[in-house]
Amino acid sequence: MKIQNMPKVLFDVGSTYFKVYEEGQISHYFRDFTIPIYQDLKNKCHKTIESHTPEEIWICSSANGGLSTLIIGSSHSFSLKYTVNTAFNSGINIIDTMLYSDIDTANPPIEKIDVVIITGGIDGVKDIFDSRLFEYLKKVTYNHIVYAGSKDNIEYLSNHIENLVILDNILDNRLKINEKALKQYLTDLYQKDIMAREDIKPLYQITANQIYPTPYIVNLSLPYISESLDVADPFIVIDIGGATTDIHYSTDLINDNITGEGGYDRLVFKKLGVYKSRESLIFTAKRNEYVYELLNYLGVTEDIFDSNSKEAVKFLMQLAIFLVLYKVSRHHGEYIELKLDILNSVVLTGGISKVLSEEDAVIIVKFFYKKLLNFHNTPDIVIDRNYEIWTYGMKHLHKKDKT
Amino acid sequence: MRVVTGVVGNDVHVVANRLIEISLKERGFDVYNLGVNTYLEEFLDALIETDAELLLISSLNGEAEGWCRNLKALKSKYNFRSNPLFVIGGNLGVGEMDPDALIPKFKAYGFDLVYHQKDLNESLDEVEEVLKQRIEV
Repeated sequence: MKIQNMPKVLFDVGSTYFKVYEEGQISHYFRDFTIPIYQDLKNKCHKTIESHTPEEIWICSSANGGLSTLIIGSSHSFSLKYTVNTAFNSGINIIDTMLYSDIDTANPPIEKIDVVIITGGIDGVKDIFDSRLFEYLKKVTYNHIVYAGSKDNIEYLSNHIENLVILDNILDNRLKINEKALKQYLTDLYQKDIMAREDIKPLYQITANQIYPTPYIVNLSLPYISESLDVADPFIVIDIGGATTDIHYSTDLINDNITGEGGYDRLVFKKLGVYKSRESLIFTAKRNEYVYELLNYLGVTEDIFDSNSKEAVKFLMQLAIFLVLYKVSRHHGEYIELKLDILNSVVLTGGISKVLSEEDAVIIVKFFYKKLLNFHNTPDIVIDRNYEIWTYGMKHLHKKDKT
Repeated sequence: MRVVTGVVGNDVHVVANRLIEISLKERGFDVYNLGVNTYLEEFLDALIETDAELLLISSLNGEAEGWCRNLKALKSKYNFRSNPLFVIGGNLGVGEMDPDALIPKFKAYGFDLVYHQKDLNESLDEVEEVLKQRIEV
């Protein structure tokens, strides 16, 4: 979508907060969950909305909770890994994967899936899939289905799967990632999903521009972060929200065969939020081998898990930082392992930037580095106090569209 | 013909890896080079994604012995459509070892052809000959 005017107002409509950027100033408003989003936004920001044209207003949002996907691929190291990486970077929050060779024993997901992605093989490779795939898909409930694998399987799959959308292969002819088409498709799907949500639809009354996924915008912001914040590469951004915790990281921090375009990747921990997914955060913490040492180190007792005090919220945020670092460290095999020993900066954003002091953050990062990595030096902590990181991506998105 | 190649384990001998890639290309192979520091699983996954007929693993610092000993078990988990030939070569032993024992050892791990400190071109001539025979069969 081409636009004519510079964006004068930016909105980030989140699951717990609205953020508004206008004339270099950022304001935050806690959502009123008793009324629709549009009404809430109009009540709180009517002056801003009324004094600008829809062309001047840009919105990103994560208020739909993100999309869910099931990815079926032919190998962990290539088709599945590349597709998961692309999906996270496109703003998808919930990802299930299935290795095609496990299809005989795999259990189909119980929940309805927004989009199923089938992938596998470089162009020229055929006969990857057979009738077992179609039998499996009969047991899956989904809204959309796409194929991003070898073009030599397109005809066979299209003949057996209704409404199959065909995209460019995620694997190029050198086994490298080719993410452009899938990224575009998923970002568009996210937008369509937002447009279809009854509570978000009315937002198009105040903007003439596309509403983008917030995680996608934050990912776009990362190359520009050091222009405004005192951040040194390689860095990670931990975005602790109400429902999920996102981590965006420089790809310099991974030993991997993925060489995508952006230089920064995203990973989502869907059950480590401090508000909507508080219970699962506590559940994960209680099962962590270091939790009692951590409680002792922070000078609190286990009772804090049952408290709703300000102290407890602060503790939960510290806990979320610790668990995110733990999950991307060598102590945890399930997720991507980041080279935390060469990390220079940890940027904290999201609701956390309003609650934690720098000291609170330094304490928990120090504990992690000393206890788990046996390091005495820790990365610099940068807190995005103004919660402005998302605005860098929105401003550059505009420049990108103009060219 | 497609070939997947790379250096296994914590081994960064990138020059040797490049020379192997060049030699294979000169011989007309379509080369998928996974580079240095590659895990065994990545090699097998690449065979699945490319349907390559040949896997050529190189190792220069003797680490292959540790990294490849599970090859047989790992292979059994895959359903290769292309029936690939498994080949390893380079400097396969370090320190005190019996060079004569290396070849049977690596064959027992699951490799079809094993070359220890053998000239690259001589080894590749032999590999091509075996591939040719397989096609004829």
